[in-house]
Amino acid sequence: MPEKVYIGPYRPQLVEPERFELLVEGDKIIDAKMELGYMHRGIEKLFTTRTYMQNLALAERICGICSGIHTLCYAQTVERLMGVEVPERAKYLRCIYMELERLHSHYLWFGILAHSLHEHEAFAKIMGEREIIQDLFEYLTGNRINYAINTIGGVRRDITPEKAEKIRGVLRTLKPLSDYIMSLLDDNGVFTKKTKGVGVLPRDKAIEVGAVGPTLRGSGVASDIRKDDPYAAYDKLDFEVIVEKDGDVHAKALVRARETYESMKIIEQALDNLPPGDISVKPGEPKVGEEVGRVEAPRGELIYYIRSNGTNIPERVKVRTPSYANNFAILEMLKGERLGNARTVIESIDPCFACTDRVTVVDVRTGKRRIIALR
Amino acid sequence: MAKISVYRFLSAGCNACDVEILECLVPRYGLANLGVEVVEEPEKANVLILTGAGTIKGEKALLEVYEKINPPKIVVAVGNCSITKNIFDKGYPIIGPPNKLIPVNYYIPGCPPRPQAIIKAIADILGVKIEEKEEFWKTPEGFRGRHEIDGEKCIGCGACAQICTADAIEVIDGPEKRIIRVNYGHCTFCAFCQDECPTQAIRLTGVYHLLTSDPRAARVENEVNLLSCTICGGTFFPEKQIEWALKRVVEEKVPIYKDYHDNIYNSMRICPNCRRKIENIKRAKILLTNLSERARRP
Ligand code: SF4
Ligand code: SF4
Repeated sequence: MPEKVYIGPYRPQLVEPERFELLVEGDKIIDAKMELGYMHRGIEKLFTTRTYMQNLALAERICGICSGIHTLCYAQTVERLMGVEVPERAKYLRCIYMELERLHSHYLWFGILAHSLHEHEAFAKIMGEREIIQDLFEYLTGNRINYAINTIGGVRRDITPEKAEKIRGVLRTLKPLSDYIMSLLDDNGVFTKKTKGVGVLPRDKAIEVGAVGPTLRGSGVASDIRKDDPYAAYDKLDFEVIVEKDGDVHAKALVRARETYESMKIIEQALDNLPPGDISVKPGEPKVGEEVGRVEAPRGELIYYIRSNGTNIPERVKVRTPSYANNFAILEMLKGERLGNARTVIESIDPCFACTDRVTVVDVRTGKRRIIALR
Repeated sequence: MAKISVYRFLSAGCNACDVEILECLVPRYGLANLGVEVVEEPEKANVLILTGAGTIKGEKALLEVYEKINPPKIVVAVGNCSITKNIFDKGYPIIGPPNKLIPVNYYIPGCPPRPQAIIKAIADILGVKIEEKEEFWKTPEGFRGRHEIDGEKCIGCGACAQICTADAIEVIDGPEKRIIRVNYGHCTFCAFCQDECPTQAIRLTGVYHLLTSDPRAARVENEVNLLSCTICGGTFFPEKQIEWALKRVVEEKVPIYKDYHDNIYNSMRICPNCRRKIENIKRAKILLTNLSERARRP
């Protein structure tokens, strides 16, 4: 007799509260449903009540982890509406800031993975050493998170030679952290044992549900907006799109781990080739019309649609976040999975403490509830 | 030391605050050294930490969680969303701030507050001292912390309020004075106000320990005198702003108007209402004619 299992919504989570309803037979998940909206803040409506400039801070607060990339995608879309050409230097600076963000976001993801796998030592090490990027952001931009660095027409703070040196130093200390994570993912690694074969998302399913980012690349699809539709200075920088074909949580982890090296490579190149000049230009007037912009956020393709009526307040802003696209992948990955792996699967998409060690099981026939440990 | 068990409840923020609370657990910040543990069930907690502005969908859950927290049931709101709703203020699903729904004892302003701010605040609440070197507390240059308004420089123009991304700055006109009030509990610390200020009067500083038990106290203000109209006597404009504007005109923009400094000043001191009266329009016209004549002369 199948049972219904509920996970969430309010468990001490890192990211959004979400609610999952799983249909379970024995230890096996046979169907999964999800309910969102616990974090709904009405942001798209709010966008249409403030000026293009003011909306930068709002875009930044859609997500507190990949906040910078939201402002970049928003700014680039507005720049197109305004017909503004951003200075070369600003384009390179944008790449540097955004790859630093990808680094801290990917490391955070590993921290959360370690936490959900009960690898406390790895959790402490990754979270602790990741701090150095947060410090760097504070030094470069004035804040650890929500760095308010992008503006319409460029960036707000420059990277001096002295700052560049500091960034290089940070990258040097981060390489061993990436090596360490790689070692957790090799044949004898502690992550490998617990993630290999778990939550498999086959290639065709990944495409069918519209997965993006590392979730998609972990299923063997080479899709990366930085390459497919280059923005900022990505067309001038050399890097590889990382693909793994197994589709399991292990593959997704490997994609992210290998991407950290690519991000470092991008930052080093951008620092080496940083063109001289201004870091921003004055924004113009928006034309009447609409624009779509997209970028590769740490979790995948992020899309902004903006419609303008020519005033300084947008008429409509629509945001499609990568996690939203990937949520449908979670449901696919959960089906057929062991209940004990549910948490790992859910967290493999998004850094999310969505559920904790216990879930409520409702016996469909009797309606009786009992609490079980997820692992 | 009393054992403190914290349960975190997040309802509609951007998550950054929540990440920073988690960050406090790493050895560098040593939340655990203060005898604080983070638990995963409200029944096991005696302290509730809130982040986020509070949504309609999460209301019931918040009330339930609050009920379950054990005495002394201390509630701490971390981050500006949970203090004033911050930038999400006018969002239609937002019903907070949380202190409208449950009693809140302490507030830690920031967007997000840095981990040092959170652990210092918790230590202060517990009445313990954290032994750390200055290096640990230090902020880098250019850090965006609490504002400071230089009373000498501020001309009361309100440009900061206009650009503000979070409606944090109020411009309050009294009978004689104008108050520029920065509610930093309602602020994203974006520093747009600092960039926009024409006189570099407002500045974000390295001050970040902002723990308070009264959210209304989270503000910085400056007062400027309003000018009274030379005709009707009503106040209408900050005195300093007019002086600043005039100085810019005669010293930077069009130095040839210098001779007319006093005439221009006198006409600027007439309020918009009086300016529209027939007899005064005449006077303004004479001034304008003089100025354009002056402009034509080499
Ligand atoms: S206060 Fe700022 S950082 Fe904290 S949740 Fe709200 S928007 Fe995010
Ligand atoms: S830093 Fe200034 S402009 Fe930005 S939200 Fe705060 S008060 Fe407003």
